[in-house]
Amino acid sequence: MKPASTLLRPVLGAWLVLGLAGCANHATDEALAQASAKFQAVRDNTEVLRHAPKDVIRAGESLARAERLSGYWGANGDVRHYAYLSMRYTDIALAHSEAAANLDQLQRRGLERERLQLALRESKLLSVQRQGQWFEDQLLALTTTDADRGLVLTLGDVLFDTGEADLKPSANRTLLKLVQFLQMNPRRVIRIEGYTDSTGAAEDNLKLSRDRAQAVADMLVDLGVEERRIEVEGYGDQYPVEANATERGRALNRRVEIVISDRAGALGEKRQ
Amino acid sequence: MNKRLMIAGALLALAGCATDPVPDEQLRLTEQAIEQARAVGAADDSVPLADALSKAARARADLADQNNKAARMALEQAELDARLAEANELTRKSREQLAQMNARIQRLHKQLGDVQ
Repeated sequence: MKPASTLLRPVLGAWLVLGLAGCANHATDEALAQASAKFQAVRDNTEVLRHAPKDVIRAGESLARAERLSGYWGANGDVRHYAYLSMRYTDIALAHSEAAANLDQLQRRGLERERLQLALRESKLLSVQRQGQWFEDQLLALTTTDADRGLVLTLGDVLFDTGEADLKPSANRTLLKLVQFLQMNPRRVIRIEGYTDSTGAAEDNLKLSRDRAQAVADMLVDLGVEERRIEVEGYGDQYPVEANATERGRALNRRVEIVISDRAGALGEKRQ
Repeated sequence: MNKRLMIAGALLALAGCATDPVPDEQLRLTEQAIEQARAVGAADDSVPLADALSKAARARADLADQNNKAARMALEQAELDARLAEANELTRKSREQLAQMNARIQRLHKQLGDVQ
């Protein structure tokens, strides 16, 4: 085996030649210092270490390599190269860490969003229920309370032409309110009662009153109220609300009354 | 003999790059990293990816000149440039998602305020 000095000689010679090419220069020192400062910052950052440990380790390894090489003559290019790689690894670690932290936060905020959505749905539901109450109040304002029959909604004479059973369009507003009310109160049922004045034959009046009540029932069915919730009665000229002596009294007597059951669906007794 | 060895060593050291193996594996890694960056949506003209592309092009020229060491170093840097481009793009997207989520939450808070 040759002595170590003999083996080392060509290497020493190479160093001498390389030493001429480049002493450690300012740019290299700067690159090294910059990479080192960057690395120190992430090395002590537990967030970055947690999210991107591999990149931090590689940044450290590259930096160590650059520092080791900086002890050799002629290795300026290599030092700068490894310093560059170290900085890139540091930047990659920082970027990965921010992305991971953002995704963590995204997940937490996603849960918060779901909670808020639920709260919003509940509050909207509450407001719809309040609105339902408003519709109910609107309809109830049109009704009167009769001692025997309960809630009664009266559709006046103006809704029909004289002697005719066809409903005029002006009835729509009230009937739509009633349909809405019945949809929100699915257990309530109604009885539609027709009345006339005393003009004309009693039999004709009975038929006319019944036809008018039926016209209202048909309209309600067309608007979506189930037939089984509707009873129809004709009372002819019975039960006048005013004396038939005056035109005004007769007009008031020509009417359709809608008797509304209580919430449980119990209707007042039928008139005999 | 010793003198000759010294000269040979010096020449070898000067021409050191020529003795480096062809960096096939590094070339593959770099190209993969560039593709990956493009796949997540990084633009070719965005800063770290543009660096990666120009360094990869330089590395190919170095390889053609059989300057393997310079090629390897350029490819190593290009790989990390591309990986940074990818990481930056993912980070940008996560920021956007978070901003969008925060906007939605703010809107929900506002709507809840309106309802109540």
